Amino acid sequence: MGWMPPSLRVTGSPRKALSNRQAGQGGAIVRNMTVISGRPARRVDRVAAFGAVVALAGCLLVPFAEFRANRIVSGAPEPLSSAGTAGWLLLALAVAAFGLSVAFRPAWRGRGILILGAGLVALMPWALGFAAVSLLIGAGSPARVSIGSGAWLVMLGGAIIWFAGARGLGRSRLKPVLAVAVIGLWVSSAVFGGVPELSLAREYAVQSTRFWGLVREHLMLSGLGLAFGTLIGVPLGALASRNNLVRSATLSVVGVIQTVPSLALLGLLVFPLAAVGLPGIGTLPATIALTLYALLPIVRNTYVGLAGVDEGALDAGRGMGMSKAQLLLRVEAPLALPLVLEGVRAAAVLVIGIAAVTAFVGAGGLGILVFQGWGQQADDLTLLGALPMVALALFADLAIRGVASVAVSPGIRQEEVAR
Amino acid sequence: MIRLDNVVKRYGDTTAVDGVSFEVPTGEVCVLIGPSGCGKTTTLRMINRLIEPSGGTIEVDGRDIMSARPEELRRHIGYVIQSVGLFPHLTVADNIATVPRLLGWKDERIKPRIGELLELVGLDPDEYAGKYPRQLSGGEAQRIGVARALAADPPVLLMDEPFGAVDPLNRGHLQGEFARIQRELKKTVIFVTHDVDEAIRLADRIALMRDGRLQQYDTPEALLDHPANKFVHDFMGADRALKRLGRVLVGDAMRTDIEVARILDAGDIDRDACGDARFVYLVDGNGLLRGWVDCHDLDEGRSIDDAVTEIDWREASVAPDISLKDALSTMIGLGFRSIPVTESGTLVGSITLSSIEATMTSSDSHITQLSGETLSSEEPS
Repeated sequence: MGWMPPSLRVTGSPRKALSNRQAGQGGAIVRNMTVISGRPARRVDRVAAFGAVVALAGCLLVPFAEFRANRIVSGAPEPLSSAGTAGWLLLALAVAAFGLSVAFRPAWRGRGILILGAGLVALMPWALGFAAVSLLIGAGSPARVSIGSGAWLVMLGGAIIWFAGARGLGRSRLKPVLAVAVIGLWVSSAVFGGVPELSLAREYAVQSTRFWGLVREHLMLSGLGLAFGTLIGVPLGALASRNNLVRSATLSVVGVIQTVPSLALLGLLVFPLAAVGLPGIGTLPATIALTLYALLPIVRNTYVGLAGVDEGALDAGRGMGMSKAQLLLRVEAPLALPLVLEGVRAAAVLVIGIAAVTAFVGAGGLGILVFQGWGQQADDLTLLGALPMVALALFADLAIRGVASVAVSPGIRQEEVAR
Repeated sequence: MIRLDNVVKRYGDTTAVDGVSFEVPTGEVCVLIGPSGCGKTTTLRMINRLIEPSGGTIEVDGRDIMSARPEELRRHIGYVIQSVGLFPHLTVADNIATVPRLLGWKDERIKPRIGELLELVGLDPDEYAGKYPRQLSGGEAQRIGVARALAADPPVLLMDEPFGAVDPLNRGHLQGEFARIQRELKKTVIFVTHDVDEAIRLADRIALMRDGRLQQYDTPEALLDHPANKFVHDFMGADRALKRLGRVLVGDAMRTDIEVARILDAGDIDRDACGDARFVYLVDGNGLLRGWVDCHDLDEGRSIDDAVTEIDWREASVAPDISLKDALSTMIGLGFRSIPVTESGTLVGSITLSSIEATMTSSDSHITQLSGETLSSEEPS
């Protein structure tokens, strides 16, 4: 297969090209096609290349950081060069990732892409810290440096490259090692680097006591919603799987609840609560609303999980003398568990997001920081509320996946078991 | 012993099972057979009360099944179904331990029992105990299904088309193994199938049903030779002589007093083995079948290479646990008048056309009374 100008290359998925090549051994016509479309698999790693383009755009096209004379005035754009050497290093990593994903194909390409992606993500707080320190030299104490759109883009691009590298690598020891290294660099940048000089960190320093209280509130609200949602949703889903009437009623009601916008639901709750003499604002309506939202994924997945239990296993269980309770506990529940947990996981992520809105009815939580930030046009305060919510959602997701990996029998897990 | 007396099952206006009575003596296999919708599965499922009878009485070992809680009853009746119904989240060992655990057995009693049962169904305990159902082939899964049903050593076994979903080759093996296990354990078995050959092969008695009614309940020979009515006659099929061969195992009909020539170390064979016979089988030092020797050629002084025909026992021999019918089919396929019988390659006997003929004629002394009628070609489903 000879070299040919890029303009002649027929695009098509690498896998298709490979199969053409294999099929090409059969006949001349197909072999001719091969000359045009056939090329080694994965000449261009499209995902990594996309990530590299995003990162390069972040480096070159948009401001990397923003300088403000004080907390609320709008910022002046600052380029990547404000981060000094660390900035150039980021640019070099992005260029290298682009080159590796598009042009070069060494044997270590997958690992290289992985390392470059992780490097972009890991270096980011250091680069921002350098930018903050250098920009703040000589500026007054009210001056702030915040994270610019460029830094976000570079981080996003780095994450995409990281993902692209991890995707092609299978099980590799390099992955956890890199994850630990990235976490280590982030933490060390907060301790030894310039991160505390960033506006976000300064905002945190001012709010720290309040911040952790709000995190606790947020966790409590979403935890209560999730707990009640699970306590009510799982039995409801189980009932739905036994009884057609319950099923159609339950699934449609929780479905309708899900379509009501969260603010509207909080507003609507005021009246029934007032009717029984309960407060329409505060933790109570927030918990009720979150519970209602948690219901749909949990009820639906419990129902689907139980309804999907193999009829043969049920017949065998009954035929061997299991009582209804034994059948439920020993056969149906473990078989439905993966789907139930998946429902709880979806509900957890949902509820952590919606809990932000309950700040409007005085239930507290990280939403307060977001809304205050908006009100004061203090973007970093908004971020201080928003970023931990994302982290909480990610953590809840990981935690429930972790529970599933332990609690679900290896006999019914998704991944392949060796024959 | 299982006794059904005038058992009825009604669903609204339709009667699925209509006054069925029969008795299965302890240690016998009763095969319930009939076309789809004849009520055979309903009858089976009434015995462990997965379906409650509308009328009549069913006794298992002298006790009315209505006298105990259904769960209690079922724990003492083995149950095997076509879809196997292994619990996918449990290992093979835990699947087998299901009923013993329901009965409250101690772990130290369950553990050795699992190994015993796996060996009984021909699977290596070390290899299979820790596997999950999705790692098993269809045949392996149904062996585990049978082991699970036998786990608490129930006196009675209900089997609902247990081998119906297995491919024909494996079905033959499973039938052979079931027959072997049954000879060993002597359970009282009710076995539902729609496969006449399977029924004839495995049954001590066949209960043939149609539209919820029992048509005839007797030994397979009696159903073949003295069908109670035209339906029974048609259902059992026209090839009754061949079907009867399906009841006889190669191991029971083979000759074991056969002449064998051994391969000697020097690349020679012991020519003395050739007595009066024209052909003798050739085995190696381990008793493994290697081919046969034409003694005639040897007598005429031809070389050993000319006189010996080498064969592969996997292709040109039959196992003792298959039926004469299957053996005959193999012989016709190979064009042999006689076929060696081997157990994993070791020569144990031989089957000849004449011995098959003898088996056929010994029980085929009469032509059925119905032979004058025009026989319907209607296929039973």
